[in-house]
Amino acid sequence: MSGDDAAGSAKRDPAELIRQVASGDRVAFAELFVLLAPRIKAYLVRLGSDPASAEDLAQDVMISVWRKAPQFDPSRASAMTWAFVIARNRRIDSLRREDSAVTYGHVPPDVEAETLLADDIVAGLQGDARMREAIDELPADQQEVIRRSFFEDEPHSAIAVALNLPLGTVKSRLRIAFTKLRSRMKDFQ
Amino acid sequence: MTNPQIAGETPTPRHHPSPETLASFAAGTMRSGFDVVMSAHLQACAECRAEVAQFEQLGGHLITEIDPVALSESALAATLARLEEPSRPPPPRTAGGLDQLLSGARRRWVAPGVWAARVDTPSHHDDRVFLLRVAPGATTARHTHAGAEFTQVLEGALDDDGVIYRAGDFVELGEERTHHPKVHGSDACLCLFATEGRLVPTDLIGRIAFAIANV
Ligand SMILES: [Zn+2]
Repeated sequence: MSGDDAAGSAKRDPAELIRQVASGDRVAFAELFVLLAPRIKAYLVRLGSDPASAEDLAQDVMISVWRKAPQFDPSRASAMTWAFVIARNRRIDSLRREDSAVTYGHVPPDVEAETLLADDIVAGLQGDARMREAIDELPADQQEVIRRSFFEDEPHSAIAVALNLPLGTVKSRLRIAFTKLRSRMKDFQ
Repeated sequence: MTNPQIAGETPTPRHHPSPETLASFAAGTMRSGFDVVMSAHLQACAECRAEVAQFEQLGGHLITEIDPVALSESALAATLARLEEPSRPPPPRTAGGLDQLLSGARRRWVAPGVWAARVDTPSHHDDRVFLLRVAPGATTARHTHAGAEFTQVLEGALDDDGVIYRAGDFVELGEERTHHPKVHGSDACLCLFATEGRLVPTDLIGRIAFAIANV
């Protein structure tokens, strides 16, 4: 890295970085790595990966980001959503490779890797801002179960243990939270 | 007999997975095997595809907000050095997608007018993913399941406690329950099921049928 643009580098738009990575720009990739890899590692650790495996897998995810950058379409998904889907799918692939008893979270066999399911919604940055608004409006306990449902393996029982709640309460709280979130997102459309 | 096919976009499904179930699919935390039934519904339902995409957006938001965990100092250099290495072959996905997965399932006749076929997909040891085709007039065994059960109606219609589910519809049962779904109308009904734990038929005919079909 040249270093002479250090002041601006932290603020570069990830979508713009991915576009540059798509044309083989390793400097842009390094910036993207600094932005994404620690978040991906944190995500994997939250889901129960030990730190060493999470570190390896985060690097694998970044290599996928490098390879798949030409397919990134900012009109369909924000950079962070795109990165999330890649990380999610790599995690599932690694669970499958281990062929262990852990069989949560397989993607369906016919969904192309990293193809977002959005056919007919306008996503992208605008959508992300709406999502942030929608989730911020929820009561704290509902935000908490939503967050945990993305970041726990076997989420329902894990949430029940972590929050010392009966399983039925966890399920109904999740239903209420996601139903509210969904209706808030619909209002925005 | 035609191979089972996933219902197309019409008619528009009227019964959908719950929001938390759509979210768990987007989060990648859905119990494996159940995701196959879910993806059958998504093929038939644009509305749920859009919702899953929104929940993927939620995932993007959540990893933006997460407290980062630093990688080792050598991680970036190590990754840069690997950028040009040939890609590892992806783990085996089922070639040909869901339709092929379903048509490859071996059918066993379990009663006149009824066949079942285990679907070969990664799943928890005791969980079952299977197709069940029931001719009009035939009836499914009354059964109890230990936990969740997902059903996607692929052809025909199903009557479960007076609620009619048609091709494209999704039935989500979250709790232990004994029920006795029947074929509705004059056409055969073909459904894709995932059950948490083995089904427990509560009558003798059902026990024999389920034993034969190994479901
Ligand atoms: Zn639907």
